[in-house]
Amino acid sequence: MMKKIQQLGYPLFFVVMALLPALLDSRWLAVATTFVIFTIVALSQDIVLGKAGMFNMGQALFFGLGAYTTAICNAVFGWPLLATLPLAIIIPAIFGVLLAGPIIHLRGDYLLVTTIGFNIVFVQALQNNLGGVTGGPNGIFGLEMLGIPGLAAYQQFTPYYVALAALILTLFILRNLESSKVGRALHYLREDDLAAGSVGINTRVYKIYSFALGAGIAGMAGTVYANQYSAVSPEAFDFLQSVLFFSIVIVGGSSVPGILLGVFVMFVLPEIFREFSTWRYFIFGFAMIFTMILRPRGLWPAKFGRIPKIFTEKG
Amino acid sequence: MDIFLQQLVNGLTIGSMFALIALGYTMVYGVMKLINFAHGDLVAGSAFVGLFVFTQLLGGQVSVLVVVGVFILTIITIALLGFTIERLAYRPLRSAPRLSAVVSALGASMVIQNGIMLLWGPQMHIFPELLPTIIWDIGGVVVSLIQVLIMALSMILMVGLYLFVEKTKIGTAIRASAIDQDAARLMGINVNNIIVTIFLIGSSLGAVGGLFIGLYYRGITFNMGWQYGLYAFVAAIIGGIGNIPGAMLGGILLGLFNAFIAGYISSTWADAFTFILLIVILIVRPTGILGERVAEKV
Repeated sequence: MMKKIQQLGYPLFFVVMALLPALLDSRWLAVATTFVIFTIVALSQDIVLGKAGMFNMGQALFFGLGAYTTAICNAVFGWPLLATLPLAIIIPAIFGVLLAGPIIHLRGDYLLVTTIGFNIVFVQALQNNLGGVTGGPNGIFGLEMLGIPGLAAYQQFTPYYVALAALILTLFILRNLESSKVGRALHYLREDDLAAGSVGINTRVYKIYSFALGAGIAGMAGTVYANQYSAVSPEAFDFLQSVLFFSIVIVGGSSVPGILLGVFVMFVLPEIFREFSTWRYFIFGFAMIFTMILRPRGLWPAKFGRIPKIFTEKG
Repeated sequence: MDIFLQQLVNGLTIGSMFALIALGYTMVYGVMKLINFAHGDLVAGSAFVGLFVFTQLLGGQVSVLVVVGVFILTIITIALLGFTIERLAYRPLRSAPRLSAVVSALGASMVIQNGIMLLWGPQMHIFPELLPTIIWDIGGVVVSLIQVLIMALSMILMVGLYLFVEKTKIGTAIRASAIDQDAARLMGINVNNIIVTIFLIGSSLGAVGGLFIGLYYRGITFNMGWQYGLYAFVAAIIGGIGNIPGAMLGGILLGLFNAFIAGYISSTWADAFTFILLIVILIVRPTGILGERVAEKV
């Protein structure tokens, strides 16, 4: 039964997502585009938090690093937007390795606060216009928009479909990750990192690997985000944004459908209830508490699919 | 040299406030292994409750009795609020995965923060001048009555707490619960009551911290809890979270560090330097300055 839903679920989801822009006005199209981008970032966060089990509360740093790499290359050095993409993936991934390296041995909550720290240092560096290229508190604007030749009339839809393409690529990477040696190693790591080490998994390497992979994917999402708004500014990447991505993974439950649900609940619902502006986050806070009480493992918890049943069944 | 002494005084003042707030984080963490993200917002709430108690309940006229009244009523309100949060948001999640409790704490933080905004509005409020503005000029170093009071009162509270935890029966029970909840239960300690106790004490100290913030900085906003809460939390981590003298040491250290950064370098980089300090300390000592190295259990 579950298998059938999954087989039908993904094609159906993508058909709906592909047709969605026809039904939306420009405000909701922007919300839908951001929904897709946030889903990518949340999936990248899930690699570190959900799959490798490290309490990372600084994913907005890598997201922002990708967006700023694109913005600086495009606005300051005049590269075409698409040409900045490889750099916007590689730079966050390198930072992922450099930042994770010294802190990877920290226990859960210490790691959490250090990643918050990285995020805050990053945003403050942007605001203080480090190196004179980040544009200070206002950020960088007036970036080039990606256009598809011959389809200039449909320009307003381009950011959405670019984001959707990036999401498909991310899901493809994740699917391969899950059934690979690395994916299994990360799974054991989360369950018990001492035991994982004792069966010959190099825990340090895989932990850093997960950070780098998560950072690279978040960086790609950053490029797409810079393309959507043709601007970047520091507050879009501050640590409260990281808190949002963190909550999405936990509320949703560390599986692809769970994360889609999580982004919907944590980002789209508040947009829908925008008219109750002053009350919405008050009620939203209660909703977060009750969700966790009623479904402590998240709305749609992950199941690790590739292990033969005999290993997982009890009794 | 003047700058040095001046920033020393300022640093000790803000450090005392950080330390008071950090104690709330560290006590809850010590027993429950939970980062109580709502604590910072309780601190912010305390400043607003103090404002309300002073202007609406006690008539807005400064006298010794009124100031004492403001402190007592605010502390009681915030302690009850802390108690309620524990009941509603944390107790049902005792046996849940740890991260679920963290998200529940984030939810509680959001509720309090937006609750303050709904009651008092998003604009900045000015905290009343509860103490006369007396300023001493000691050889070029300016010290105000408020600063002296903050340092003295914080010191008294911290010493009091330390003696309470080290010397009394309840304090011993708190320390036992922090080491091993199950073993404590077997020794006849009611761990639920201990958790309620630490929430009451932690919230009360946070309430005093919030009133101090109001008195010292004057401008209070509904979302300031995150800012001060994060600093206090960093102080608790630097000292070694779960360790009570550690939180005090961490708070004072962080306050001094912040004041010297603001005095000698630039206040626009203060946050960044604070977190760089934190990261460096954690790289050198992964469990904070006074934190014990805990062997991982298999």
